[in-house]
Amino acid sequence: MSGTTPVAPLLEVRDLHVRVGGQAVLKGVSLSVRAGEVHALMGPNGSGKSTLAFVLAGRPGYEITGGSASFEGRDLLTLAPEERARAGLFLGFQYPVEIPGVNNAYLLKAALNAARRERGLAELDAFEFLALVRAKTQLMRIDESFLGRAVNEGFSGGEKKRNEILQMLVLEPKLALLDETDSGLDIDAMRIVANGINSLRAADRSIVLVTHYQRLLEYVVPDFVHVLAGGRILRSGDRSLALELERRGYDWISGQAAA
Amino acid sequence: MNAAATQQRSEVLDRVLRDYRSVADTLPGGVSAHSARERAAGQLADIGWPSARDEYWRYANLRAFDHSAYRPAATSSAQCAATLSLLQSQGALPPPLAGFERLIFVDGVFVTGARSVAQSDTAADGWDWDWPAELRLGLLCDMFASDAARLSVHGTAAIEVLFLSSPGAAGAAVYPRLQLQLAAGSRLRLIEHHLGAPEAPTLVACNVTLDLGRGANLTHYRLQQCGRQVTFTDTLWARVSEQAQYHVRGMTFGAGTARTSARVQLAARGASVDWQAIAAGRGEQVHDIALKVEHAAPDTRTDETFRGIADERARLAFSGRIQIGAAASGSQAQQSLKGLIEGAGAEIDLRPQLEINTHEVRAAHGASTGRLDENLLFYLLSRGLDRAHARGLLKWAFLGDVLRTIDLPDLRAEAERLAAGQLPDVPALVGLP
Repeated sequence: MSGTTPVAPLLEVRDLHVRVGGQAVLKGVSLSVRAGEVHALMGPNGSGKSTLAFVLAGRPGYEITGGSASFEGRDLLTLAPEERARAGLFLGFQYPVEIPGVNNAYLLKAALNAARRERGLAELDAFEFLALVRAKTQLMRIDESFLGRAVNEGFSGGEKKRNEILQMLVLEPKLALLDETDSGLDIDAMRIVANGINSLRAADRSIVLVTHYQRLLEYVVPDFVHVLAGGRILRSGDRSLALELERRGYDWISGQAAA
Repeated sequence: MNAAATQQRSEVLDRVLRDYRSVADTLPGGVSAHSARERAAGQLADIGWPSARDEYWRYANLRAFDHSAYRPAATSSAQCAATLSLLQSQGALPPPLAGFERLIFVDGVFVTGARSVAQSDTAADGWDWDWPAELRLGLLCDMFASDAARLSVHGTAAIEVLFLSSPGAAGAAVYPRLQLQLAAGSRLRLIEHHLGAPEAPTLVACNVTLDLGRGANLTHYRLQQCGRQVTFTDTLWARVSEQAQYHVRGMTFGAGTARTSARVQLAARGASVDWQAIAAGRGEQVHDIALKVEHAAPDTRTDETFRGIADERARLAFSGRIQIGAAASGSQAQQSLKGLIEGAGAEIDLRPQLEINTHEVRAAHGASTGRLDENLLFYLLSRGLDRAHARGLLKWAFLGDVLRTIDLPDLRAEAERLAAGQLPDVPALVGLP
């Protein structure tokens, strides 16, 4: 961050309304994320957290009925998912899909080269790619043999999540939306994933952590915490808000909003 | 079936028999061969022409056969040799595969390769096959064929048979024939490759008979890439003896209409068949495969995989019937049939059928047909792959289940190239690991 000079938001979501299957899920979400910031988006089940992440990444099946979202000043909602990715937006899936027959290394290399082309950089050949990816696999404690396997096929839940973070490390996005990356992780895997995320923290990069629990936030300390419930951000604060939620639960906030 | 359709079927059979009568005296072979042809004609007349009313023929595009000419292309050995020279000079033949002996037939006539394994004449001792109703189109070859690739293998061999349909066959019929006997303990890698694109409607009716001796091992690569004017039918009958292994790698890409009728009999203890097939159709192509496996002995095994992609208005069908007889205790059968519908007007019909008449059997089957999984597609897009690349990758992965089992790198590369030609958005992906 540049300190005293105000920085235009990397991601600016304004009054976003989204329906799924005719049902309003997001009812006016606003969120500003500046470069270098880490935000945690918390909230109970069904509050719309994953919907927000998917809508921002461009997954089909969501009807945007109002509001806007911009990324580096560009209208995000008019871009195709692949354009958003190449512009530097990364979604870490809550449930990474298995893709039998598609080689993990092939996907990583194709994705990286797509991003490099977008940035005007030369594509990496197989040797350059391997050198780059090797260090990242070590950081994520992923055995190199995983690169030769089909994407997520036969991976444990924890391995899938680590593979998501590996992809993020290779792609070096400007904005990472990590949807419940901590769910289903034991404490050791949580540390590995947190190390991976922290290694990517930089002044020109932002991270939005979608999570239920503040446990991950002990390892990846956020600058801002937001509570999403009933399709709206009901409260924003600093890290202490996550601790308070841990103590008092979500009903406390929902109750305040209802009052 | 209405009266008009019945009438139509009868007319087709009449024309087949009429075409046969008109050429019977000119077909090669001695007295025994002639009597075998007559027997085949009589049998076809008795069984009758197939009808879509019969489950076994339900998805075959029988209409394509209605207007075929059944008389063989009028070509002499000398003509065929000249045609082959011309095709070779134009680079129209696939490059030879290292380690494989190559035999070439042009319009069903033997042209080049080791004479010891390719013989004229139709009837021969030890090749006594009666074609049941579901394999009745195999009778066409018995009636009309000139030559056969007749292979009798002892020890280890690798043979490639090219069946070419030349431009000169346009408007007539071609009858490729392959007859194989594997001695006990022998090993053969056999490539059966059908190609050629006559510029007018042409019938290619092929029959294949295989007899695998005790402990024999056959890997049979079948590649069909005929031109769209071809109506193709192949009929295969295999007998697999004790502890023998029959591996099939079927690749169907070509012809306007292609019908495979196959029957594999696991005749003795420990016999196995492993049938892996892909088909990719586009335009108005119809690819239909009907495979029946009979488990007639204990401890026999079937592994069956089909992957089909139908683009544009293509229709694909795979009917896999596995019968486990009362004597086949301890047998195993596994069947995985999947179809991917790409085109708005495309259709895929998969019919897994398991009939189990004994205890102590392990059997599993699954069949599914659908479009590309949007969740998988979104995942790839979210990683920045462009849409065509992502779709191609998923289609490639789908076919990969079978393509990966082709263990000859050059042949696999050829199959990938042909598959890519059938799938508009995958050409860049050839050679994936």
